[in-house]
Amino acid sequence: MSRSSGKARHNPLPFIGKQISIQIQMRALSVFSFGLLIFQPAVFSTVGYMLARMAGKPAPDLIYVIIGGGIMGMWSSMVFTSFFDINNDRRHGTLELIVGSPTSLTTVLAVRTFANILTGMVSMLLSFVVVIFLFKFTIPLRNHPYIIVSLLVLFFGFWSIGVFLAHFRVASRVTGQFINYLELPVAILAAFMFPFEYLPRWITWLSNSIPLRWGVTGLNASFQQKLVLSNLWQDWATSIGVSFIYLFVTYFLSKKVHDMIRVTGELSSV
Amino acid sequence: MKKNFLGNIRLYLASAWYSYRALYAWQSFGPYISVKIAFPLAQMLLFIFMGRLAGMADPLYIVIGNILLLPSTNGVMGVSMTINGERDFRTLPYLIASPAPRAPLFLGRSLVHIIDGLLSTLMALILGVVFFHVDLTRSNLPLTVLCILLLSVTSCGMGLILGSLSLRTREAWTITSMVVMLFYILSGVNFPVAVLPQSLQLISYSLPLTRGIQAARLAMNGANWSTINSLFMGELLTGLIYIGIGYLMFMWFEKLSLVDGQIETV
Repeated sequence: MSRSSGKARHNPLPFIGKQISIQIQMRALSVFSFGLLIFQPAVFSTVGYMLARMAGKPAPDLIYVIIGGGIMGMWSSMVFTSFFDINNDRRHGTLELIVGSPTSLTTVLAVRTFANILTGMVSMLLSFVVVIFLFKFTIPLRNHPYIIVSLLVLFFGFWSIGVFLAHFRVASRVTGQFINYLELPVAILAAFMFPFEYLPRWITWLSNSIPLRWGVTGLNASFQQKLVLSNLWQDWATSIGVSFIYLFVTYFLSKKVHDMIRVTGELSSV
Repeated sequence: MKKNFLGNIRLYLASAWYSYRALYAWQSFGPYISVKIAFPLAQMLLFIFMGRLAGMADPLYIVIGNILLLPSTNGVMGVSMTINGERDFRTLPYLIASPAPRAPLFLGRSLVHIIDGLLSTLMALILGVVFFHVDLTRSNLPLTVLCILLLSVTSCGMGLILGSLSLRTREAWTITSMVVMLFYILSGVNFPVAVLPQSLQLISYSLPLTRGIQAARLAMNGANWSTINSLFMGELLTGLIYIGIGYLMFMWFEKLSLVDGQIETV
């Protein structure tokens, strides 16, 4: 008999693949996803379009109004689907099984959040389709790689903040409810649908602590005809840096949440 | 008949009381009020900034529109949530099986949402005055209050229509949320209805809220009854038609669900 090593080897890839596949299947034919990913961003963009029409402009600011609507869709989708995932786990009694399983809670939440943002990308892609095909907006070839990098940076920002927030949802159902109310405040603080400069100065410190604010600024900058690369690099670097801070805090938070719900046994009661 | 009437009133109030105890009584004051402040403020700010991007110099139109939308959204969502909530908590079949009259049963449950909506409106008005300099000194206050009350009642019809979908589909709540979002475009909240294309204006005027919001705006600008009475009565009539349609839809779907046994399957 061979001596077994202290820890069983665990290949996370099948779990990650299966979890992503389940999450995407759950979203694929759901009216709820349609509402979050397509309908809601379309409504916000239409309001922006009508406001521009009222002001006598022939077309709205496509980057903020349409692409911004896509970012809004990604954000709303992440906030609400992640919330309902945990909520459903509570309701169906599977949250205890997840917390009790050898796969860490953080891993489960991280993969789920990743999948939810991946489905949220539908919203973003649709906004690109609308901008390019409906409004005939031309993006210079030179900008394409910068836009792709900006999208990846933004994705990473979404993921880091999503994993961070998901732990609060597990910790307490009341906190989870409050996170729902973050939808619009974060959309404002990160200036998804208007220039960041509109925000009053006194609030910008709060905006700056959200990776999405830098990610969105970077994405908007990468669409401009005259690219200012130094600013772009700065936005990317800050977004990634702030995202890592969130992940770092999440690392400690996850232990705290894990211990709290196991020690107090309040997983389903609070 | 008198006994029947008193029985309905008792059922209406009892339903309202249970709804309050289930949904609101456990909430503590601080978090409840902070949500009441945060949500309308955030909604107003988002549209104000979007308006500024479009070139709107004065944000008051958007601020007032969003304040007036609050009693309506609570009316629509409250009534719809009342029916949908029963489905969610698996109690809908018991209610359907009971001989209790439907109108006091469900409308009573939605009463707390309407009161909650009025409280939200009051909070939003205070925010509007403090942060956005909404001037209420020129307004016809009693008429404004009457219009706000009217909006919270007329919106219940749409809530009843959407809520009755809960008897046939589990997506009723999602559909309700989507319809409420459409009010941002169709009911003259963020921009006048006249900005919309002709076909959408037609839809807009066939909905409750549009005339009510216009009447409330005028009352807030100091208009008297003779100026707004056609809008007011139009809103009342539209609301009553929607309440009637909602009630008939509920009865029809209930009958259909009892025949095919599909209250909770789809």
